[in-house]
Amino acid sequence: MKNSILLLFLSALFIISCSSSDNSINSLPDDGSSGQGDPDTQGGTTNEWLIPLSAVRDGGPGRDGIPSIDNPKFLSVNETPGLLAEEVRVVGIKIGNEVRAYPHYILDWHEIVNDDLGSSSVAITYCPLTGTAIGWDRVVGGNKTSFGVSGLLYNNNVIPFDRSTNSNWSQVRLECVNGSLIGEKPEVIKVVETNWFIWKSMYPNTKVLSTDTGFSRSYGVYPYGDYRTNNAYLIFPLTRDDGRLPRKERVHAIVDEGNSRVYRFNSLSGGKAIKDVFNRKELLIVGGNETIVSFELDSETSLLEFEYIFNGSEAYFKDNEGTEWNVFGEGISGRGNGKKLKPSKSFIAYWFSIGAFYPNAEIFE
Amino acid sequence: MKVRTMKVQMLFFLVTILFISSVKSQTCCSGGIPMSNNLGLENLGKGVLQLGVNYDFNNLNTLNAGTENLDDDSRQRITHSALFNAAYSFTNNLSIEALFTWVNQRRIIDQFGNTDLQQTNGIGDAVILAKYSFTKILGESSAVSLGIGAKIPLGSYEEVDGIGITYIADLQPGSGAWDMILFSAISKNFNFRPSTTFSGRAIYRSTGANTDYLGGAQVYEYGNEIQLFAGVSDQFLVFNKKLISPGLTLKYRKANKDEIDGIQLNNTGGNWIFLLPSLSIDLSQNVSFQTKAELPIISDVDGTQLTPTYRLSGGFLIKLNLKKNKINFNDLQL
Repeated sequence: MKNSILLLFLSALFIISCSSSDNSINSLPDDGSSGQGDPDTQGGTTNEWLIPLSAVRDGGPGRDGIPSIDNPKFLSVNETPGLLAEEVRVVGIKIGNEVRAYPHYILDWHEIVNDDLGSSSVAITYCPLTGTAIGWDRVVGGNKTSFGVSGLLYNNNVIPFDRSTNSNWSQVRLECVNGSLIGEKPEVIKVVETNWFIWKSMYPNTKVLSTDTGFSRSYGVYPYGDYRTNNAYLIFPLTRDDGRLPRKERVHAIVDEGNSRVYRFNSLSGGKAIKDVFNRKELLIVGGNETIVSFELDSETSLLEFEYIFNGSEAYFKDNEGTEWNVFGEGISGRGNGKKLKPSKSFIAYWFSIGAFYPNAEIFE
Repeated sequence: MKVRTMKVQMLFFLVTILFISSVKSQTCCSGGIPMSNNLGLENLGKGVLQLGVNYDFNNLNTLNAGTENLDDDSRQRITHSALFNAAYSFTNNLSIEALFTWVNQRRIIDQFGNTDLQQTNGIGDAVILAKYSFTKILGESSAVSLGIGAKIPLGSYEEVDGIGITYIADLQPGSGAWDMILFSAISKNFNFRPSTTFSGRAIYRSTGANTDYLGGAQVYEYGNEIQLFAGVSDQFLVFNKKLISPGLTLKYRKANKDEIDGIQLNNTGGNWIFLLPSLSIDLSQNVSFQTKAELPIISDVDGTQLTPTYRLSGGFLIKLNLKKNKINFNDLQL
């Protein structure tokens, strides 16, 4: 009998000792040369945050558990019949003559694409939970880097990290919020959100991101059920829940110096061009049922009158001097051919994220 | 009688000390800790105390979309569990069983040449179960047991990483919620081979809600769960007159989706069928060693999830007839 008790006791001690470990995040580079930052800090980050740490959430998959696409492959339009439905939402970018589209149904599973267009290095960052797609220059502090998905969320919004310093960046806040680059702001590169039909009508020579990503995922299956339309469905609580609009209403948000002004799609229903003033800046907002873009006007262009003219070609709007402009604000014909309007710092988002990040957000009526 | 009661108390005290010596932290009850697997100790008669200690290794390294296995092994969830059972039979029919856990939960991402490890460890949730056995309802050499119990939220659900970010619910050692557990078991031996036992178990867990999730900001509730077991085991005498009992069990598990604030969470819940080969070896009249594996045959998860790859467990079970044996703790030289 005594031996039995002794056996039980020793077994218990053995099991407990086998399982003991610490309670921390560890980033363990295989070769010690992969830019993991200061080893004295957790995961290469520091303890200082520009956002409330208590509101930073562990999203579940963990760092790089949602893998970014670092070697994107592309298809031409004539390779896509049967692959892309016309209503598929895409994030489009145009740098020089390089035109590319990134479908939501791929971004839903990867959230970041590290890409190179000509001499430009761009990170397409996309958060399926806040519906935000923003292009960032991957050259940060003079060094080219790539971004990954940290697995952390703030107000349900993705927190990318840069692989050079492991610093954490808030996508919607457009700022590095933790790490050695804290306070740095990414250079935003203009992207356009629309559907595949409109995009390929504008740019028939576009390339589109292929599902040949190097990862095995259920592309075409939205991973979050009815999240896009269920206003009650949030994964994590918000620091501020602004009930002026339905949480999941998609809006075009212009952000400037910590403030925001949002434009609802129904304000531009059928296609409109609106001139507005926000933060003492004159703005042009142009769009229709699927797309909204905006630009800052200067002393010269603010005198012009604009009109939405999209009819299945690259020309998206025109001014009263006859210049036709594309969706990126490039003059493509007429007197202003070759000129470029200054893009606003803006993106499409679910309303709740703007309400949470920008407490004094204005709503255009 | 009073002396015997004190001895039992001392034994429970000893077991309790073992797990209190570990660091307090949380136990996941969704895919990690095999509570249901380890419930259902047989009623061996009035006055019999059974004590078990088991180690369980659960490896989730298979990424599924529904039933489709995705070619991606970059994500891994490992749960190391120490399980402590104690069951006491007050009568030949009525018994009480308790299960305590200590757990180490690991989330490992091996991607882009880097390995990211996050983990929690400590005391997990516990289960207490009262069972009543009916004998001979199904004829000679048969038993039917019914039980009701509760999962007690002993484990922490507020573990944070090294910089203070609270881990997600299923990486926590505890659930923060009381669950109700309904238990039933049946066993039958037939005359054609009396050493062969056919058995079945059904365990239903009606989950409660953690109303204090993320500091009370949300309500989290794991999905209700049912597990059905059907198995057969036999007994053989082998070398040195050791009695061994190999067994094979089929297990079905269905878990509903978890909920946050009443909204069902995608990519949680599913249906699984497992095969569990097992082996028990009687080391002495009172002590047996038991080990088993759990191998998924069918995994049908909601959405895309990591799903069990395999589970291994092993441990000792000690049977003490307190009516017959005297236990002198003073003789222990530890």
